[in-house]
Amino acid sequence: METITLQELNGRVKSTLQFEMPDAYWVQAEISGISPSGQGHCYLELVQKDTTGRTFLAKAKANVWRNTWLKLKPYFEAETGESLKVGMKVLLQVTVTFHEVYGYSLVVWDIDPTYTMGDMARRRKEILDQLAKDGVIGLNRELEIPMLPQRIAVISSATAAGYGDFCNQLASNVYGFRFYVKLFQAAMQGDDVERSVIAALDAVAARMDDFDVVVMIRGGGAVSELSCFDSYNLAYNIANFPLPVITGIGHERDDTVADVVAHTKVKTPTAAAEFIINLVFDTAQVLEVLARRMGDAVTGRMNAETVRLERLAQKLPSLFAVLKVRNEQMLENIWNRSVNGVRNLLTVKNHKLELLEKSIAAADPALILKRGFSLTRCNGHVVNRASDLKPGDRLTTVLADGIVESEIIG
Amino acid sequence: MKYEEAIKRLEGIVSEIEGGKLNMDKIGESLKEARELIKFCKDKLYETDEEIKKILETDD
Repeated sequence: METITLQELNGRVKSTLQFEMPDAYWVQAEISGISPSGQGHCYLELVQKDTTGRTFLAKAKANVWRNTWLKLKPYFEAETGESLKVGMKVLLQVTVTFHEVYGYSLVVWDIDPTYTMGDMARRRKEILDQLAKDGVIGLNRELEIPMLPQRIAVISSATAAGYGDFCNQLASNVYGFRFYVKLFQAAMQGDDVERSVIAALDAVAARMDDFDVVVMIRGGGAVSELSCFDSYNLAYNIANFPLPVITGIGHERDDTVADVVAHTKVKTPTAAAEFIINLVFDTAQVLEVLARRMGDAVTGRMNAETVRLERLAQKLPSLFAVLKVRNEQMLENIWNRSVNGVRNLLTVKNHKLELLEKSIAAADPALILKRGFSLTRCNGHVVNRASDLKPGDRLTTVLADGIVESEIIG
Repeated sequence: MKYEEAIKRLEGIVSEIEGGKLNMDKIGESLKEARELIKFCKDKLYETDEEIKKILETDD
């Protein structure tokens, strides 16, 4: 039975691998650990998980030597906007090595950033699909920004250049609009983004009546680390937020999930400030137009009334003339009717007088005497009855042509 | 009053006068109200509201 040393065994494994697998392979894997070394190398832990994501199907160490790392790192970051980190899916060109002491490992020679970007896009799409399925994706976009978005809750880190840019841009707006900004601190990169931004959103929500809009901003950097904004939880909180959220997290590439669910997405903090200034400008325009319309309307109405008055004034003399003629006619009618009335009345009265005259004339005693009647008096009294007389009475009889004295004898 | 309400009221007044429906005796009154509303809105736009400042300066 041949016995060999461990070193010999490992040496055989090493040479077998070198002989059997001398080529470079493009390998898909997920980064489970990353640690740059002091010498400028980078040590990676690579894994492959099953579909549940809980069980490892394969595991390997991979080393990126200094010379490779110096080119590969900036190339990958420029292409993806991300730095290599745990959880990231990568496509690496590797060769297989075996070291008698350190064992099996890979050496990384190249990386294909499009694979990682494709994976990030797929993950974004999955999150967006889930948000759509949960019915929240469009909620924040449907909110209406108030006419005067002056009170702004800013979620950012105080040290970020972006926050200063935003405040300066607002404060120096050429129109002289007033804005009120309050900062709610949160990490804008790194692993704490999701937790701290959600905490900041909660703090704003607790006093939402004090604000009109929320602005989430950070300055751009060489590496934008946007994938932390591709978070379901963060996006869910933004989508459900009761105030419109404006994002300006500084990037040129595909929108993050946070951008998609936000009310409005702009590229930079400065652009976020411009966006708000323009909204207020529109509002100020509305006011100007209304003020002008008010002036025009009042002037127009006054002019119309003046014209109306003038027309009336012009009409007045002729109106008076018509009125005068009408009144004169009326007066004449009244006069005529009065005269006729009086005339008729007089005629009736005259007739009555004539009748009276006639009856008076008929009663004249002289006429009666002329017709042969006589009037007999005794002692000054008119004699009406024979029985009033006695023999010896003296009678005075008045005839038409004279008076006869006589004495009763029987 | 909110800025939106002021603008809405102002719009109402302007269209009332434009429509010629308002009687002349009331125009003066409306004009006065409109002026106050415009001033209110301009103050909001261009003047610092100390009260808002104070509210935002306070922390929870």
